[in-house]
Amino acid sequence: MSLNRDTADIAFTFKGGMLPMTVMELASGDPERIRAQLAGKVSQAPAFFQHTPVVLSVEQIDEPHLALERICAVCRAHKLLPVAVRGGPDPVKQSAWALGLGWFPPQESRPRAVETRAPQTQPAPAEIEAELPVPPAESAGQAGGRIYRGTVRSGQQVSAPEGDLVVIGAVNPGAEVLAAGSVHVYGPLRGRALAGIHGDREAGIFCNDLHAELLSVAGTYKRLEDIDPKMLGCAVQVQLKEDQLRISALT
Amino acid sequence: MAKIIVVTSGKGGVGKTTSAAAIATGLALRGNKTVVIDFDVGLRNLDLIMGCERRVVYDLVNVIQGEAGLKQALIRDKRTENLHILPASQTRDKDALTLEGVEKVLADLADEFDYIICDSPAGIERGAQLALYFADEAVVVTNPEVSSVRDSDRILGLLSSKSRRAEQNRDPIKEHLLITRYNPNRVDDGDMLNLDDIREILAIDLVGLIPESEAVLRSSNQGVPVIHDDKSDAGQAYADTVSRLMGEDVPLRFQSAQKKGLIARMFGGGGRR
Repeated sequence: MSLNRDTADIAFTFKGGMLPMTVMELASGDPERIRAQLAGKVSQAPAFFQHTPVVLSVEQIDEPHLALERICAVCRAHKLLPVAVRGGPDPVKQSAWALGLGWFPPQESRPRAVETRAPQTQPAPAEIEAELPVPPAESAGQAGGRIYRGTVRSGQQVSAPEGDLVVIGAVNPGAEVLAAGSVHVYGPLRGRALAGIHGDREAGIFCNDLHAELLSVAGTYKRLEDIDPKMLGCAVQVQLKEDQLRISALT
Repeated sequence: MAKIIVVTSGKGGVGKTTSAAAIATGLALRGNKTVVIDFDVGLRNLDLIMGCERRVVYDLVNVIQGEAGLKQALIRDKRTENLHILPASQTRDKDALTLEGVEKVLADLADEFDYIICDSPAGIERGAQLALYFADEAVVVTNPEVSSVRDSDRILGLLSSKSRRAEQNRDPIKEHLLITRYNPNRVDDGDMLNLDDIREILAIDLVGLIPESEAVLRSSNQGVPVIHDDKSDAGQAYADTVSRLMGEDVPLRFQSAQKKGLIARMFGGGGRR
């Protein structure tokens, strides 16, 4: 809410927000190669391809004219929704706008993994990076985690859009903690905890004192009512096993 | 430089205005120049609790909109020296308050007073946010009841993110917990949350514990802040609270059930065991 608002009679307010977003980092502009790789990914992680919004990052491609329209069509055919393009020269920006997509300037701070990877000449496959739940070993070592110190209070939301979230403190009723990776809570967990928000099925929730209103891993959830009362107040881990949340004691 | 203390809670009806009036009066009784401001524009109550409703001419909104000077709007308390009241407007709503206007009023008051007590409206919207925005300290009024505790938790979140101190990255607002309507007998019976449960969830310093008391309702209706009733438990508990706000170390009272006398045990109600 803005303190400088004039009337209560308004149709909308603009709010700044940080939304977790999957970035599809293209190493190749060839729609057919993207199609081939996507087909393989869908069979590995079908839960991920549910009209998931993605940002197409073309920073690694040195081509002034991309077949952007065809790339988008391939993505949509695999239930990915391109919402914006990141990077690329001016013609790419113009065609993104023409397709009704947003355009973001290239990300500078990020170390470019590109240099070591082959550009177009070599047959290196395009990679879907970021939060894709592909090999578990990789997701466990995700960078970009977050440590939060203090109480997460009712109405507050603390998230780690990439990697794990560690809360050194309590998560109170009505508060929400989310992470692309796992969630670790060292104080009492009384609010909602959501791990693997981009579909990482290997993520887990770890806490010292379980009283959570809601536990969720990769979209599979349990409400407080569904949690075995014997587990309340215990140190537990929550993992996804055979499409079910399994809550077990941390020993 | 004045210390700005907001009395807030999120939830309505927990005793914000009663507490603001008692704390302001207590601070003035201890020799501090104190002003208490009603931020509940549209639902003016503080003047009733302070017993000055017949002397309201101008109000906070008039001052902010330049229709009256601060001196004209301030009401001097008849019972207590050093105490002034700045009432809210009953005819306007909270949109009449502006951030700049409130800042100016507080800055002008800060030159003259030691303590500025802001009596916040309920809720977490504009009125409540303006009341807490400039605060140095906050008294979070909570009843021993789950919904009140959750709303206080929400307000504590706002205090640490939506205040001037937070936005300027200065030291955070000093937060104090004030528990009101505490009834040790009902706590023992399990009807009410106990002190430790509340403190564990909210995790801030306890500045006072006000027992549920007939004296509170009586003084509200008489327009005399309950702290004047120094025979009553609630009056004494507020006096303790003021001492702690001023940095004194006072032991906690009224937290456990009083033992009933023999007669009361034989004939008195309750008798649950």
